[in-house]
Amino acid sequence: MNNDILSSRLKRKKLHKGEEGHLSDLRPGQECVVLNFHNDNQALRRRLLDMGITKGVHIFIKKVAPLGDPIDIFLRGYELCLRRKDMAGIDIKVVA
Amino acid sequence: MRCALVGNQNSGKTTLFNLLTGMNQTVGNWPGVTIERKEGKIKGTDITIVDLPGIYSLSPYTAEEEVSRKFVLTQKPDLIINIIDATSIERSLYLTSQLLELNCKVIIALNMSDIMEAKGVHIDVEKLSAALHTTIVSISALKNTGIDALIDKISTGDVKENIHMPIYQEKVENCLTYIYQHHIDHDLSKFEVVKVFERDRAFSVLDDEHVNQAINEVEKDLDMDSEQIVASERYDFIEKIKKEAVVVDPKPESITDKIDRIVLNKYLAIPIFVLVMGLVYFLSVGVIGQLTSGLIDGFFNGMDSISIFGAEIPLSFIGLGPWLNDLIINAGGSLWAGSLIKDGVVGGVSAVLNFVPQLIVMFLFLSILETSGYMSRISFFLDRIFKKFGLSGKSLIPFIVGTGCSVPGIMTARTVENQDERDMTILLTPFVPCSAKLPIISLFCGAFFGTWSWLVAFSLYVFAVIIILLSALVIKALKFKSSDSSFISELPEYHRPSAKYVGRDVFDRTAAFLKRASTVILICSLIIWTLSSFTWTFKYVDGNDVLISQSMLAGVGNGLAWAFYPMLGGHYSWAASVSAIQGLVAKEQVISSLRVIAGVAGQEGTNIFSSPVLGFFNPVSAYAYLVFNLFSAPCVSAIGAMRAEYGSWKTTFKAIGFQVILAWILATIIGSIGGAVVGWGM
Repeated sequence: MNNDILSSRLKRKKLHKGEEGHLSDLRPGQECVVLNFHNDNQALRRRLLDMGITKGVHIFIKKVAPLGDPIDIFLRGYELCLRRKDMAGIDIKVVA
Repeated sequence: MRCALVGNQNSGKTTLFNLLTGMNQTVGNWPGVTIERKEGKIKGTDITIVDLPGIYSLSPYTAEEEVSRKFVLTQKPDLIINIIDATSIERSLYLTSQLLELNCKVIIALNMSDIMEAKGVHIDVEKLSAALHTTIVSISALKNTGIDALIDKISTGDVKENIHMPIYQEKVENCLTYIYQHHIDHDLSKFEVVKVFERDRAFSVLDDEHVNQAINEVEKDLDMDSEQIVASERYDFIEKIKKEAVVVDPKPESITDKIDRIVLNKYLAIPIFVLVMGLVYFLSVGVIGQLTSGLIDGFFNGMDSISIFGAEIPLSFIGLGPWLNDLIINAGGSLWAGSLIKDGVVGGVSAVLNFVPQLIVMFLFLSILETSGYMSRISFFLDRIFKKFGLSGKSLIPFIVGTGCSVPGIMTARTVENQDERDMTILLTPFVPCSAKLPIISLFCGAFFGTWSWLVAFSLYVFAVIIILLSALVIKALKFKSSDSSFISELPEYHRPSAKYVGRDVFDRTAAFLKRASTVILICSLIIWTLSSFTWTFKYVDGNDVLISQSMLAGVGNGLAWAFYPMLGGHYSWAASVSAIQGLVAKEQVISSLRVIAGVAGQEGTNIFSSPVLGFFNPVSAYAYLVFNLFSAPCVSAIGAMRAEYGSWKTTFKAIGFQVILAWILATIIGSIGGAVVGWGM
């Protein structure tokens, strides 16, 4: 992903239930299902897969760091912290 | 027999390792406490247990995870003990699904079984064991239950055979079988076959037209690339098992979440952090330091009164050193023999012993911070700031560990994923005032800043943080290309720190400090005493005919003093110069050396700054001298740790050169500007 695409993805859009967007768009309390990946960084992509971020998994946004980044998400019964930059490559659909 | 202890980060591996072997390895509550493999034998048996750094997968992401993967794949342990956190079973079983593909027996230790019920997790161990076709033992490493049953299974070999259960859907399994058949002469393990399927670069020698085509077909069919397919299928398999054997009650808001709402609050987080760290230094350096250091110093070196929070309370005591001195002189011993004991031995060693009580208090707080889970929060919320400076939020853990000692701090830098960020963290960790620098800070602050000493001490920590961030910014601008770093971490639940482990930790760190005082510091003090008590022609410095300025040490120090001239506000001081250089041996040696020299030079009372050779110090030059000692090259042990982590002397020397030059410039600026304001050469 080049920098222009990344920075456009990092602009936070307000998403409502049923809408599609990027994982980095969501706010605490929202829940989504993962649709697809766009990640050029192979090692990071591998790691996210290993941590259970696969197609179809449900992710709940739990906490946001006081300065807005990173974000603590809840999936598969545990919590994981990620930077918004790394969440921007994950396409999602809001379910709640 | 050799068993590998494998599990996710922060799953309790080291606690279990300590229980199995009766050893005492450091336990903490942040992901990545174990950074190197450690071996021990199960008590009373010949079975070796290898404790490995926590991993989430056999595809490593950070340097310390590579240690685990290498060991499991190349050392071929006889048995893998897979420790699983019952409270996050899904992610734990992902690693299990990989381990079960190796040609090795696996036994599962289901940890935290004591708290899982309370957390609303109900696991049917029989069903789970049947679904995985693996032996499972429920344990609680914290409460020490189920450990005997586990040892029993390991030692009798009562562990189910690993039958490599098919976990993928038919299309994928068929493709895997095809790959195995195609490379039949390599006799690949199931794990390796899967790696070939994933097109892992480590197996690129097996690239093959036919295999490639077979993989392509599956990818097209399932509309995912093979790496995604494998991860998805593993998790699908785990979800299926979980449905059969695990029930998780819907969670009410946990205590951890409630605490985090305050601790990670937008407006409160940073004030709370500053307050917590400030409190640590106020209580240790401020309260305990002021209460005890005068008293201990008085015990060793004599006192007329002690000052507690500004109030002078008369308390007369001759002191161990002067008492021994009198004893020797009265018994007919020579002047130099008395001085050797009083100034060389008692003076030098007591200079660092004064600080033991406040160090104990500081170690106690640090240990609580580490084991409670608060430290992970700090790295979580400071990541945003640190990222801007080319560091990771995880760099904070090495820095905080570094307030105890730089050596483990530098080693903990391994948990930082990105290499640039890791190298920078290693370079900057020695800037954090370690516990050996604390005595230097306390001594100078106590002497020149009175009741405000704790605040000045704290200001040096703030100063250290500012310098760390500024250095990072400069280096990032000069050196790094585009940085593509990430931050992937767990927020562990808060734990009540275990008194046993905190106690052990404090004891170990204090013991290490005392050991240095009784070995390295003692020897160096004797050398300094000898060099400062005799001239080049071995005449004894008696303070009348032969002055300390004629001593060998003064000769050496005078050669160095020009470098310290500006920071000391325009004073040539061989004593301060030669002492600063000894920081290389151990940082607390700086004040030991000052004390020995002051003693030989004839100080009055316990205040070493009443000695003629050190009398020139004023608050400005004291601060400048402190800054030099804090930021210049760390002690040799820390340099060794830097060398080990960088893997190169060249990089290490560059880093040390940077540190020394920066320290000198900062101290010189403070000394000369401050000196110009207060009066040069005051």
